[in-house]
Amino acid sequence: MTRDELNAHRLVKEAQEAQLRSFTRRHFLKESAMGLGALAMGSLLGGCGFGNKSNNPVLYDPAHPLLPKSPPFLGKAKSVIYLHMAGAPSQLELFDYKPELMKMDGQDCPQSLLAGKKFAFITGVPKMLGPQASFAQYGESRAWVSENLPHFSTMVDDVSFLKAVSTDQFNHAPAQLLIHTGSPRLGRPSMGSWATYGLGTENQNLPGFVVLTSGGSFPDAGKSIWGSGFLPSVYQGVQCRSEGDPVLFIKDPNGMSRDLRKASIDAINAANEQEYTNYNDPEILSRVAQYEMAYRMQISAPEVMNINDEPAYIHEMYGTKPGQSCFANNVLLARKLVEKGVRYVQLFDWGWDAHGDGPSNSLNIGLKNKCRSIDKPITALLLDLKQRGLLEETLVVWGGEFGRTPMMENRNGVQNPYNGRDHHTDAFTIWMAGGGIKKGHTHGETDEIGYSAVSGKVDAFDIQATILNQLGFDHEQFTYPFQGRPFRLTDVAGKVIHDVVA
Amino acid sequence: MTLSLNLEDMVLLSMPEFIGRFHPVLVHLPIGILLLGCFFQLLTISKRFTSLRPTLPLIYLLGGLAAVFSSITGYLLSQSGDYDGGLVDVHQWLGISVAVISMAVYLMCRKQVKEIWLHFTAALLIVLVGLTGHYGGSLTHGSDYLTAALTEGDSGKTAVPEIQNVQQALAYTHMIQPLLKNRCYSCHGADKQKGKLRLDAREWMLKGGEGGQTIVPGSAEESELIKRLLLPASNEDHMPPREKPQLTAEEIELLSWWIREGADFTKKVADLKQSEKIKPVLLSFQSGTVKTSKGLEDIPAEEVAKADVTQIEKLKQAGVVLIPVTAGSNYLSASFVTAKASPDVLKLLTGLKKQLIWLNMANTQLDDKGLKILEDLKALVRINLSNTAVTDQSMEVLKNLEHLQHVNLVGTKVSVAGVGQLKGLRELKNLYLYRSLVTEKDQPGLKHEFPKVDIDFGGYIVPLLPKDTIEAK
Repeated sequence: MTRDELNAHRLVKEAQEAQLRSFTRRHFLKESAMGLGALAMGSLLGGCGFGNKSNNPVLYDPAHPLLPKSPPFLGKAKSVIYLHMAGAPSQLELFDYKPELMKMDGQDCPQSLLAGKKFAFITGVPKMLGPQASFAQYGESRAWVSENLPHFSTMVDDVSFLKAVSTDQFNHAPAQLLIHTGSPRLGRPSMGSWATYGLGTENQNLPGFVVLTSGGSFPDAGKSIWGSGFLPSVYQGVQCRSEGDPVLFIKDPNGMSRDLRKASIDAINAANEQEYTNYNDPEILSRVAQYEMAYRMQISAPEVMNINDEPAYIHEMYGTKPGQSCFANNVLLARKLVEKGVRYVQLFDWGWDAHGDGPSNSLNIGLKNKCRSIDKPITALLLDLKQRGLLEETLVVWGGEFGRTPMMENRNGVQNPYNGRDHHTDAFTIWMAGGGIKKGHTHGETDEIGYSAVSGKVDAFDIQATILNQLGFDHEQFTYPFQGRPFRLTDVAGKVIHDVVA
Repeated sequence: MTLSLNLEDMVLLSMPEFIGRFHPVLVHLPIGILLLGCFFQLLTISKRFTSLRPTLPLIYLLGGLAAVFSSITGYLLSQSGDYDGGLVDVHQWLGISVAVISMAVYLMCRKQVKEIWLHFTAALLIVLVGLTGHYGGSLTHGSDYLTAALTEGDSGKTAVPEIQNVQQALAYTHMIQPLLKNRCYSCHGADKQKGKLRLDAREWMLKGGEGGQTIVPGSAEESELIKRLLLPASNEDHMPPREKPQLTAEEIELLSWWIREGADFTKKVADLKQSEKIKPVLLSFQSGTVKTSKGLEDIPAEEVAKADVTQIEKLKQAGVVLIPVTAGSNYLSASFVTAKASPDVLKLLTGLKKQLIWLNMANTQLDDKGLKILEDLKALVRINLSNTAVTDQSMEVLKNLEHLQHVNLVGTKVSVAGVGQLKGLRELKNLYLYRSLVTEKDQPGLKHEFPKVDIDFGGYIVPLLPKDTIEAK
């Protein structure tokens, strides 16, 4: 044997050993015992009709995980744009007009409101804080909107307000997780993952679930908030940008031609397919699909995600800042993506946590500037979708993860330097528009000072149930088997808010 | 928590009741075996069948034993208290007599009594088995189960008969009672009291059942009745049981309202307080109100045959997103979001002329020639031609697609003259004309020509306000 042959021989042997080593004793025992047990069990249960619940199929085809699918029921919405104001905007300075609260401004908070309550920062007896904005009624629906949103106030006849949303989480990360994944703890799939799992996506050259962030920071819950949890990982959100490369690391590196890229992806995929025949893990097929999609996206993504080819009047309408990363750019991008058949576009805009601990975190300065940065883009989005005939089939949701207290925040018992409010779980406002939602409607009402719900109280699960309903799913039937039981986005709760469904 | 509850349930479910629950299965044995025996017995009257005689003692013995076991399990089941006394008594004694007589007949066979006696007892047994079975059936399915099919026709659909004038109706007698009668009495009425609950008279209803207070006048939320109705269908405690006809949302609203307003048994609807929310619900029970079917209008009501699979495959190959509008429907939706509108592909579409109802051709190269190919797609409900090259000429095609409801002509070369041609489309609901050749001057005229159509001319402006640029400090 020559030296080279010897080397080659050794390499092959090593590879074989490595492969054999991957079949551990545990693997063998599991495969043989479980396999036999499953065979026996399967034949026993087969006759009882176990496992063939027709209303509850696994919709996942590992080789084509994102192919478009029909919803079980007629869904009014084909896609969703979810605008999440991370940090929780104050409902009392935007939509929930409380003149009574003004009268209590500066007074000590009554004990009745504090008894048995827990707050993120408030300790002792805080002072009440009147609305820090003036309000007026707009549209035929006579909805109250504050001066902070002059553009949006012209749109009230197109949206449904949920004025009495509640949550049971008073910290950002768990509250955001609850709204987007149905659990305040990590590990559940996000709503966008559920939507793409259930419906796939129309455009196979683009991801089905796109995430766009602005405001300089990620939402507190981190990337888990668009994770796929126990759903196949192909359904997780793909984070894109409106500045620079739309998808990070998608450009071929210097010196790598597209042909070479194609050849290397083919080689990797061939290896992965070999791996799949060995292990039958569907996640491997997902990975193959992901590589192929990434390759296609190299061509299509820069084209779709480039907002610069939009005409000037559209840029004017949205108030975009080309070349920068900002909410307005993301909103315009969201419209373009939905137009191209993307199923779920999730926006996060950070910086709404108006505690009053600094000027940029105050109701009179920071909040007003945040409002200015979203007011025009959101109004433009609704109008633009409308004139393109897309609002009918696109559900737009706007909201935060919780609300803010009618009390002024006194951190550690000391009044904050600026006007601000603490996190509040009992009542806040979310609005929805398009996608078969009633126009010019308000559901729910809070008490005189906006502290708790008086009627029409809804929670995160109800909102999720309603979003799934608009997409054509019964949230109670839409499940995925995991750890031996079917899981739902809405866990064991949630009622569709029929009052806002047109 | 649910787990511990289940365990508790299992302990509480006593052994005798568990055995009793085999009764509905076991009863079919004596019915079958004894009827066969009696039938054979009567056949032996004819000479040709005398060879059956030796089998008879064994058949009677088996039938008799089955009848005895059925009687025992039946007795245990009756002790659960879910069933009405009177009917159970009749069924019980009939059953016992079947068991006794069949055992007696077995002995008579063995003793070789005169054939005529055996014929007589066989006839008697047939009658007894029939009666016992009938009463047993009445207990399980309700005493009007058999006759309901004859008398009430399609009563399964509406639990509350239509009312001439809802406001003048008696809330309980004309609305609540018929509803309870049609949906609840069969298990919670005179014949049967599942969970020790009767709903067929005031005192029983207020007394409640095992589950607690069925009706708490003034509070629908605390009333077990409403709680159970509102539980998800998958919940074990949901009522009516999953396999029975369910109450509609309006019927549940009606019950909740009636309880909230005090669960009164005599007043007229008009004398009870009515919120804005309940008024339309009440009105829905009045005859002549148009029942609006929600959401389904975008899909034709009539069924359609399945489309050709090879045709669908070819279109999918061409990149067309072609899927049923809802799972299980034969109606199709097609989207060209990643496909080219070449004539070949368009020709393939025409093979789906009965099934294709939604078509999205936005941002394709489609022109008037291309659209002409599609002129046979008569089932189309929605068509999106935005940013294609179609002109007024194509409106000649569209005007004959008479089921069109949504037409999107955004960014096309269609002018007011072309749009005018669509006037004959009687089902048209939405028309999108943003950035078409329709000018601002044309708008009032079109609005006048299409009074029922929601026309969106677009061109919205979000003006720059001073506030948009001044930073708060």
